[in-house]
Amino acid sequence: MAQVMMKDLNKKYDEVHAVKDVNLHIRDKEFVVLVGPSGCGKSTTLRMVAGLEEITAGEISIGDRIVNDLPPKDRDIAMVFQNYALYPHMTVYDNMAFGLKMRKFPKTEIAKRVGEAAEILGIQELLKRKPRQLSGGQRQRVAVGRAIVRHPQVFLFDEPLSNLDAKLRVQMRVELKRLHDRLETTAIYVTHDQVEAMTLGDRVVVMKDGWIQQVGEPLELYGHPANRFVAGFIGSPSMNFVEMTVADANGALWADTPGLRVKVPPASAARLGPYKGQRVTLGIRPEDLRVATGADAADYSFDTVVEVVEPLGSEILLDLKAGPNVIVARVDPTVRAKHQDKMRLSLHPERVHFFDNKTELAI
Amino acid sequence: MLIERRWKKWVFFYIPLTIFVLGTLFPFYWMLVTAIRPDAELYRSWRAVNNAPFWTVQPTLEHFRDLMEKTTFPRWLWNTFFIAVISTGISLACGLLAGYALARLKFPMAGALGTSIFVTYLVPPTLLFIPLADIIRDLQLGNTPWALILTYPTFLIPFSTWLLMGYFKTIPKELEECARIDGATRFGAMTRIIFPIAVPGILSAGIFAFTLSWNEFIYALIFLSSPERKTVPVGVVSELIRGDIYFWGQLMAGALLGSIPVALVYSFFVEYYVTGLTGSVKG
Amino acid sequence: MGRARDIRLAYLLLAPALLLLLTALAYPVGWEVWTSLTDLSPVNDHPTSFVGLDNYRRLSGDPAFWRAAANTVAYAALTSAVKLALGLGLALLLARPFRGRALVFLAIFLPWAYPASVSVIGWYWTLSPPIPTAYSVFMGNMKYAVDGALGGGAWAFVSVTLFNIWRGSSFIGIFLLAGINAVPPELFECAALESKSAWRRFWLVTVPLLKPFLALAVFLALTTAFADLANVWMLTAGRIVYPVLGTHAYWLAIHGGQFGPASALSLTLAPFLLAVLFVLFRMFDPPDQERA
Ligand SMILES: Nc1ncnc2c1ncn2[C@@H]1O[C@H](COP(=O)(O)OP(=O)(O)OP(=O)(O)O)[C@@H](O)[C@H]1O
Ligand SMILES: [Mg+2]
Repeated sequence: MAQVMMKDLNKKYDEVHAVKDVNLHIRDKEFVVLVGPSGCGKSTTLRMVAGLEEITAGEISIGDRIVNDLPPKDRDIAMVFQNYALYPHMTVYDNMAFGLKMRKFPKTEIAKRVGEAAEILGIQELLKRKPRQLSGGQRQRVAVGRAIVRHPQVFLFDEPLSNLDAKLRVQMRVELKRLHDRLETTAIYVTHDQVEAMTLGDRVVVMKDGWIQQVGEPLELYGHPANRFVAGFIGSPSMNFVEMTVADANGALWADTPGLRVKVPPASAARLGPYKGQRVTLGIRPEDLRVATGADAADYSFDTVVEVVEPLGSEILLDLKAGPNVIVARVDPTVRAKHQDKMRLSLHPERVHFFDNKTELAI
Repeated sequence: MLIERRWKKWVFFYIPLTIFVLGTLFPFYWMLVTAIRPDAELYRSWRAVNNAPFWTVQPTLEHFRDLMEKTTFPRWLWNTFFIAVISTGISLACGLLAGYALARLKFPMAGALGTSIFVTYLVPPTLLFIPLADIIRDLQLGNTPWALILTYPTFLIPFSTWLLMGYFKTIPKELEECARIDGATRFGAMTRIIFPIAVPGILSAGIFAFTLSWNEFIYALIFLSSPERKTVPVGVVSELIRGDIYFWGQLMAGALLGSIPVALVYSFFVEYYVTGLTGSVKG
Repeated sequence: MGRARDIRLAYLLLAPALLLLLTALAYPVGWEVWTSLTDLSPVNDHPTSFVGLDNYRRLSGDPAFWRAAANTVAYAALTSAVKLALGLGLALLLARPFRGRALVFLAIFLPWAYPASVSVIGWYWTLSPPIPTAYSVFMGNMKYAVDGALGGGAWAFVSVTLFNIWRGSSFIGIFLLAGINAVPPELFECAALESKSAWRRFWLVTVPLLKPFLALAVFLALTTAFADLANVWMLTAGRIVYPVLGTHAYWLAIHGGQFGPASALSLTLAPFLLAVLFVLFRMFDPPDQERA
């Protein structure tokens, strides 16, 4: 078990600068998830840690060794690939034993470790089969099993669940989490699914265009996104953004745009002061909106018209229009609404975010 | 509707396919009929009574016996086999390594080298046989199997490299990446993971190479002179045709027998061969 | 460094292949170019001398050379066109699995898998039988009819062409079939939904999708025919009724011992080949191009 450090890590392909100045300190036993849209450089970062991709500039260390020039086999890591990469000409047992055989473990030790891993993953019955005789979920388990028999210092996962169907994915997600709690091996996990990132990660790293956007615990990312991209990427359905002008009226700050006018909550007022008269972006999550009742302050309420109603059972998603602005709200399943209904909404004053229009950073 | 479909299937599928197959097989049928036809029946006039050109009335194995006993045909078979196996082995080994390098490793000039190897496949023997004849004479390899074992790789290596490179490209590269993480070197991942998976491709390249060297004619004709050193393709035509005299029965018998190894190889591996070929071009 | 190690390994792996090719290919080609500028001959009694472009000059004034060149071009063009058409038809027939497909594969592989020198005799026996055979009268009549209509040597030309087509078209077919298999089937299904006419579909979808494979097939067909020597030699039993460049060179070098002129003659094939290669590489990316 070991920590992983990345210092000013860069990767350039011929034309693409895929990873830019990544600095990351992954602590021992930590489960860190790299998340971001397709092509943002997550896999490239992971593959540099694995030694499969050459490092253009910067430094990676695992434990207290700098591994830049170490071939993959000497880094003491294990990796699970999206397509599982099971060796088709070997049985499940031989697949799992391969890494141990390469490291010249005695036969009895190999059998013991494979047995243990197979038991943890519930694949004892499959050991004699060839990979093509397995279902997608079983292959996935074998791939994980192959990684854990080696007791490596670090696990690397590159979208290991994305070839599974939705139900199986949720199930495997839980199992992976349990596995990590049990083995406590440092893990780096790449995914483009923010739900996976939030549920699995001790910390989550959000990437975009090769840059790290924010590193933090899941709830920190959710509650205090560093910029507009993270705010929109984390959370589903994603945060509503409305461009507004900051205006001074009756001694308080107001955010104003045709069809929508709300008071700037006191918590944000001080920081928004310098933006007086300028445009900013207001962000509010669908779950931080609710149907207004008499008890809600009028300052934080506004009128909308219902466009689309999406009942999900446990909740209802409403697509609404406040003037020209489209807003999604997540409301109680008891709310009765239909197309063209008028509806007054109220927002949660402590959960309003403001972003600078130019830098997109949170204000 | 259904009837129309069936009618269409006959016109556009069964009939053309049958014509194709008959067209390809007819010459073999003709060779067979000739090979088992006694000389008396072979050289009979068109207008003779009970003339049956399309089949043999009294089949005989006499030509086969003559071939085995009166000529050095068994030697030819052995020579051809020996030369084909060794030159195939050499070419396959070179092709495996080179094909892997071209498919998987990044290095300067990879593209240029790949293209030039491919282009050498297209350099015809017609361009090469004169200088090669001179070289072989200088090396004093004339009239030995080594003359052919050294020259056949000129067309076998480019070809097998190209085929195997294509096949390697169809194998997901994660497999060997995983092996390298699991503790194998590049070379280890290649020999333990990639080569075993590439067996269909290797087999079809091997069959291909074997066929090409078994059938080769020009180099064998030029480099081998004494009758007991010859290969089947050359021996059959140079020893069973004396001036203007053709020993037709023996010729056909030799033609049939001399190709049995190749035909057997094909019938055993036809599935492999087709997947090897299609798999490799998919890359 | 990982990369340096990779590069070293790459050259190491390529070394045996490149070495063999270099000695057995590059050197001979160099030798041939040089020899074509000399009067080298094993039967010479005077030392070999450099003659510059003399060999080429003599060729260009030789009507026999031009006749051989014309024969070669006609032979290559005709056989390639027919083989391509037949091969494409065959590939389309075999594209779908059906019972006994492996057997059909076997049958159509045979002409290619059989030693040409041997099957060519079968053809020779079939097309130009010796006088007292059962059907020699029939074949003789055919020969006179063809030669009479098209001029002397036409029957030989027809024989060689037929043989080449018989031997080559099924191979082209299987090569193209590999191409068809490489095209994602959705593309064909999509086309089937969009256009009802099979004929239009063939020209608008199948042919463009197969273009790289067709180009390569044409190239293979053309080069083998250009360079053909064995087939023509055998099928006309060494009596060169109509010479092609290959047989001409063979005759000069092996029987005449005139290596210089023969080399020059062989090298005249090179421009043909390069021209075809050039067109081909413009039509599709070189085969080493990696697909994403
Ligand atoms: N071998 C390569 N050569 C050139 N560019 C590459 C190569 N591999 C990746 N890239 C580029 O680098 C960038 C980052 O790729 P990477 O695979 O890391 O993305 P990712 O975040 O894993 O995306 P995804 O979620 O789609 O897997 C992309 O723009 C990609 O096109
Ligand atoms: Mg990726």
